[in-house]
Amino acid sequence: MAAQTGRTVKRWVTFIVDDSAGTLREIPVDSINGVGLEYPEADVTAFQDALKGVLPDTPECTIEIGGPFDNSVAAAVGTLSGSHTVLSGINGAGVPLSLDVRVGMRHAWESGEPQFGITSSATSGFLCMSYNVDMATAKYTAKFAMYPGSAAPAWGTAAET
Amino acid sequence: MATGRTVKRHARFYVDGHDLSGIARTFGPLRWEYDMPDLTTLTDEVAGSLPDHASVSVGALRTVLTNTASGIHAAVEAAGTPRIIMAPIGIRAAPLAGDPVFAGRFLQGAYKMVEDAGAIVMDVPFGEWDAAGFIDYDKPWGHLVHANGAETVANNGTASVDGLASSALGGYGILHVFDGDGTCTFSIQHSNTNTDGAFDAAGNVLAFDGTDATEPFAEIKALGKTATVNRYLRWQIVLGTATTVTFAIGFVRG
Repeated sequence: MAAQTGRTVKRWVTFIVDDSAGTLREIPVDSINGVGLEYPEADVTAFQDALKGVLPDTPECTIEIGGPFDNSVAAAVGTLSGSHTVLSGINGAGVPLSLDVRVGMRHAWESGEPQFGITSSATSGFLCMSYNVDMATAKYTAKFAMYPGSAAPAWGTAAET
Repeated sequence: MATGRTVKRHARFYVDGHDLSGIARTFGPLRWEYDMPDLTTLTDEVAGSLPDHASVSVGALRTVLTNTASGIHAAVEAAGTPRIIMAPIGIRAAPLAGDPVFAGRFLQGAYKMVEDAGAIVMDVPFGEWDAAGFIDYDKPWGHLVHANGAETVANNGTASVDGLASSALGGYGILHVFDGDGTCTFSIQHSNTNTDGAFDAAGNVLAFDGTDATEPFAEIKALGKTATVNRYLRWQIVLGTATTVTFAIGFVRG
């Protein structure tokens, strides 16, 4: 089926991130927040200005995800890998990771449809900074931030690698 | 060992050789977070940081109050004390060898009685890793090498944990001895070939120090940061005066 346009719902959103060996894995999620760049406003208003004015400073990107605790074996993208299997291996490791949030348009994502992320290099990518598990619900949360000096992640329509 | 998702009723909670699962209502969250100092410079395209110190905690345990010999009152009445904790996570069944474990030595912050909709329950919060018992690892997740159960003979079986590959990053073992009728030595053996003979030839990767199984106890034993740990792991015991020992072992690979 060809790429589609229009609106969609969350069931077609996928979260993909490098595992500890640098292989992209899709893990189960039930929440994804912070997808996109956010520019803090620097207030540069002077007394003499007619109204308040701001300028955008260095953007930030911190992605927080949540989902079911899962220790399924790692699998190629297209099949879910275990959230614990992947996240327990990358949390706190200082190696930049590829990360890809794919938004399928009323079907499984296809090239040409929106995605947000970055393909990692030695100096660009995301880092996993926390991995917490709440056994009351058997769910995890995890946080990803950018490697220092990294290129900025961006919206696009082609898969990250 | 199953894989996939699970629910809380298949998790267990061990404290200093006491299995408190039968009286525990909830525990957690199992926290593993890194400080994120900001390293952004003027010309960076986006703000960036690196992981600094890790913060690891088993969270808070809430149990019903029971003053039986194996109950919570006996296990954790004294707050302000470090505890060796292991939380195996069973996957849609009671924990089995190979299942994930969260483990460490955490400071027990309090032991407080509260009323919860008429039930008398105990809140037992745990803080960070006990500073008097540091080991050189910042990772709390590993695998169950021996599920809570009794053994009466040495192990001549095959692996209970498949690490998928050998590693040279060390690791640490966690032992909880719940019951026994004498002395026994406990160890973890490793091998790159999954046969009884290969395990016998390769020997121990880690041997625990504690041997008196007549009283509950727990121990964490760490390897050097560059120690080789072969792909396959199995538990091993050498019975001394004991004829039966009930224990659980976990291992966190570096």
